[in-house]
Amino acid sequence: MRLTGALLVPVLRTLPWRALGAAGAVGLLIVSMARLTDEADEMLALNLLRAAALAFALGLAFVLDDPARHTTAAVPTRRPARHALRVALVAPVTAAWWTAALLLVPDGIRPPVGDVTLEAGAAFTLALAAASAAIRLTQAAEPGQAVAGAVLTTAVLGLLLWPGRWELFVGTQDPKWAAAHDRWGMVLVGAVVVWGVCGPEPLRRRVFLKPTRA
Amino acid sequence: MTPTVSAEGLSLHYGGTRALDDVSLRLTRGVTGLLGPNGAGKTTLLRVLATAVPADRGAFTVLGNDPGTARGRQEVRRRLGYLPQTPGFHPDFTAFEFVDYVAILKELTDRGARHREVRRVLDEVDLGDVRGKRIKKLSGGMRQRVALAASLVGDPGFLVLDEPTVGLDPEQRMRFRELIARAGEGRTVLLSTHQTEDVAMLCHRVVVMAGGRIRFDGTPAELTAVAAGRVWNSAERDPGAKAGWRTGTGSFRNVGNPPAGADLTDPTLEDGYLLTLDDAGVEVAAA
Repeated sequence: MRLTGALLVPVLRTLPWRALGAAGAVGLLIVSMARLTDEADEMLALNLLRAAALAFALGLAFVLDDPARHTTAAVPTRRPARHALRVALVAPVTAAWWTAALLLVPDGIRPPVGDVTLEAGAAFTLALAAASAAIRLTQAAEPGQAVAGAVLTTAVLGLLLWPGRWELFVGTQDPKWAAAHDRWGMVLVGAVVVWGVCGPEPLRRRVFLKPTRA
Repeated sequence: MTPTVSAEGLSLHYGGTRALDDVSLRLTRGVTGLLGPNGAGKTTLLRVLATAVPADRGAFTVLGNDPGTARGRQEVRRRLGYLPQTPGFHPDFTAFEFVDYVAILKELTDRGARHREVRRVLDEVDLGDVRGKRIKKLSGGMRQRVALAASLVGDPGFLVLDEPTVGLDPEQRMRFRELIARAGEGRTVLLSTHQTEDVAMLCHRVVVMAGGRIRFDGTPAELTAVAAGRVWNSAERDPGAKAGWRTGTGSFRNVGNPPAGADLTDPTLEDGYLLTLDDAGVEVAAA
């Protein structure tokens, strides 16, 4: 507990506030279009909220970036604890930002808050899981840019190529809305599992390829 | 003397390339130099011993702790200092703030004691006067010393330094040598370097690596002795030499197997290093 307290201020200073601020601003700008357009309906509001959540997820892809990663590679404070603290510090900001995004959508056309929040939560967790995987699988100290690119590409490809029977991006009036949100729940659980698996530093490496001489 | 580090059969590969191949060694108190060409496996060995990356095979202990278990790794890290090849920083932190941050990560939670320790290590690397300066405003040599200070926090019993003098000017290198020599008093230091002069001046022992394996393990004098009777001067470049170059006096210094009647000269540590690599089948000209 004392360790966490001592780490609060320095970790707060090392968080990627610029990336989060930019992503948050873009996201709010996107959602504000729901107020600026006369013909806005629930479907448009839903898609604007989805786009805004994606924008903020791109900012979250930078949360685990640490330029001092290699300098602090051999410290006793465990990596999952350090990552958890970073995420815990960003969580209230994320919650406040998402609340603001929801409030920007006029009451009459706001999609079901719980379901759309589930979608956003899954997108945010996916971005963090991808960042965690990048740190586990590579030596990059600041993989945020690559992770954000991968998250964006995955979102676009998912939108275009996702099989119809497992559809995720459906409208509120669509009869598949409830089923789609069961799937969003599974995406969220999957992202949490990936995050949990990639968090700890391994004690042993797994051998997949037969080595040759250097 | 009980070894600080005891490693047996360490192996590690990246993709299909074996970076470490059955490496065994014991390290005792004092500065041990690790020499080798690029891609020899020096950094990989240092990262494994610093617990920054696990090995595929083999085992080792540091100060009696086995980093193959979560608890053992934690214990090792409490008593270890690590300066990576390219240390990274939070550039907006001051030197004091950054070392303080590392000290917290090293579990020094008592604020007063921690700040005293941070001041001590910054003074030890002669950065006491600039401790309030932001890291982005410091020179490359000063940043290297900030990283060294961070590695010295908590007075670790085992210090791993990966090419700390690379990119430094001669004056900074001299200063760094002094710091490393001081750090080596009373603790075990493993120093990876390309500078044979660093090894000659600092180390009581030298290990040469090539192709992921240890090719030599002995004292600097023993490494120099590898080239005894295998260095000679000649008026022209000797085509039979493994390596040869014109010296400042205009004559050629040759390393290899001398012809009969050659004008033999005293070898240096570098000659011994080059011939060790050559004996290991490494292209000497490229080393």
